Amino acid sequence: MRSVIVLALLLCTIPRPVVAQDEDAVRFGIKGFVDTYHALRTERPNDWMSSRTRVRGEFSVEKGHCGAFVSANLAYNAILKERSGFQLREAYAYYSNNHWDVRAGRQIITWGVADALRLTDIISPMDYTEFLAQDYDDIRIPVNGLRLRYSREKWSLEAVAIPVNSFYDLPTDSKNPWSIGSVSIGAEPAFKICNMEYGGRLSFFLSGIDFSFSALHTWNKQPVICNGVGEYRRMTMLGADMSVPIGKFVVRGEVAESLDEAQSASVCQEVPRSASTNALLGIDWYVGNDWTLSAQYMHKYVAWGEHRNSGLATLRIAKDLLHNTLSLQTFAYIDVTNGGLFNRFSIDYALNDQLHAIVGHDLFHADAGMFSVYKKNSELFLKFKYSF
Amino acid sequence: MIKKMFVLAACLMAVGQMGAQQLTGRDVIQKVKDRPDGDTRYGELELTLIKKNGNTRQRKVTSWAMDEGKDTKKMMFFTYPGDVKGTGFLTWDYDQIGKEDAKWLYMPAMKKTRRISGSSSKTDYFMGTDFTYDDMGQRHVDEDTHKLLREETKNGHKCWVVESVPVDKHEIYSRKVSWIRQDCLIADHVEYYDKLDKLHRVLSTHDIKNIQGFWTILKMEMKNVQTEHCTVIEVKNTQYDLKIDKTLFTVAKLEKGL
Repeated sequence: MRSVIVLALLLCTIPRPVVAQDEDAVRFGIKGFVDTYHALRTERPNDWMSSRTRVRGEFSVEKGHCGAFVSANLAYNAILKERSGFQLREAYAYYSNNHWDVRAGRQIITWGVADALRLTDIISPMDYTEFLAQDYDDIRIPVNGLRLRYSREKWSLEAVAIPVNSFYDLPTDSKNPWSIGSVSIGAEPAFKICNMEYGGRLSFFLSGIDFSFSALHTWNKQPVICNGVGEYRRMTMLGADMSVPIGKFVVRGEVAESLDEAQSASVCQEVPRSASTNALLGIDWYVGNDWTLSAQYMHKYVAWGEHRNSGLATLRIAKDLLHNTLSLQTFAYIDVTNGGLFNRFSIDYALNDQLHAIVGHDLFHADAGMFSVYKKNSELFLKFKYSF
Repeated sequence: MIKKMFVLAACLMAVGQMGAQQLTGRDVIQKVKDRPDGDTRYGELELTLIKKNGNTRQRKVTSWAMDEGKDTKKMMFFTYPGDVKGTGFLTWDYDQIGKEDAKWLYMPAMKKTRRISGSSSKTDYFMGTDFTYDDMGQRHVDEDTHKLLREETKNGHKCWVVESVPVDKHEIYSRKVSWIRQDCLIADHVEYYDKLDKLHRVLSTHDIKNIQGFWTILKMEMKNVQTEHCTVIEVKNTQYDLKIDKTLFTVAKLEKGL
């Protein structure tokens, strides 16, 4: 935290352009929420899957073109006691003028156009402590790094450097209802300059299309299993994405070629490495009358091993009612390769401007593949969220 | 500023002269669209949604706009309530008929910007209010056929009464009738009729003031007479011709936020 404040002060010393709004005023911002979430397994033994309450605070201070932002949770988790307490999410300092935007510190970085799927969006890893049964924005793990962006009216160039690596948080504790079992995870890469992640993204925003190209020298942030041990290895991702609005539709596409990606193997002397090709096609349909439909299909091809092809699809249907007081949504992950399914259905009712009550159901159905470990984890959940 | 005042005076003189000429409904609506409103604009909007039983909900929005020729770029951020605070919309509105507007939505919780459809939302209601996106934006004059019905005094103001019928039959209204004030070229009262030609919504404007030489609506009310749901928009801290850099209207600034 202290380093963020120091950085903010340093950034304030950078010369600023003359034209700016309220340059001399120090502006403070605060927002956040209090939420309580409880989920009950609908299969035997009908135990509590989650029970957590937290306060999220987001604070910002800005003077002229520079400032700092901090986001943190104070949480109580009745199931996973070690997840209770203070959790720092983001803490970064920034400098921003008409063309430059520099952020240094702990931050979430998102790339790509895919919705809840990761092809080029592999900088911020995932917190799988409760698998995907959390809000997607809670699943992202911030990274400690520097992001530099230069933008013009119709394009922007972004460079990232992440000296301190962050990796997936996997549920290996047997007390966790979302546990994937006891997995030994090998040592994470040491904090060395040669282990730094770095990359860039060039994006264009035009009247009929958005597209971008990206490259990242990174790590496989979800460990691959080799001889029963989770391992991390270097890899390089080359990617591209685009969004094209066509009438009531927006077509999205994304490709990522992961070079030298580590692969899991039950028995191996060395962690196998191979290129993988990932491609996604998605379509959003803005039906009107507050209906939204979105579907995606992602295909992965690995140039190694017996199971070279895999497919994952998503489907989202959302409808707002009663002047946006009531929102219904269903979002499904479909494991096309193995015939598995995870669907989250939710009903969100705004009791007033600040307070929302949300009830829903998570459905797992799988005999094989990524969802099979959770085939008895279907649950009903209830959440209250007070935003301020 | 002097130039703006001259334009406004010339416009009002032209309006006065038109009474004696063959004025068409399209002429009136074109005049309304051409009403001077500065090259850049800033405003803070408070939207109050009022249910039939009197319960209210509120949204607050801060908005900037800049004209580029006949096109307009807009940036808008929600500032209230907390669950949508920081959500931003960037819109590039094109005047050319058939050219789809470019729109982006920034969701702060997801830290993500999405390209959204430029055409579909026009007939949707804006954030649960009784105003459609079309009502909030600038509708092209030739998206409707206009007929000047009569001149009459409404709420003490001399008005042209114009009926507008959408060219696209998929619009949510079959026709609308507008009472356009002749003194300031602002609609005092608009009636929207549904597909069955029953009165559906009624817009009334209040508190019209001249700010920096530009006529400005500071309060308007849209009532759905069929459901008795109502939305009141109050505009605060309106400013025209601010020095705004055009880089404000970029995806990078949308993601940077307020």
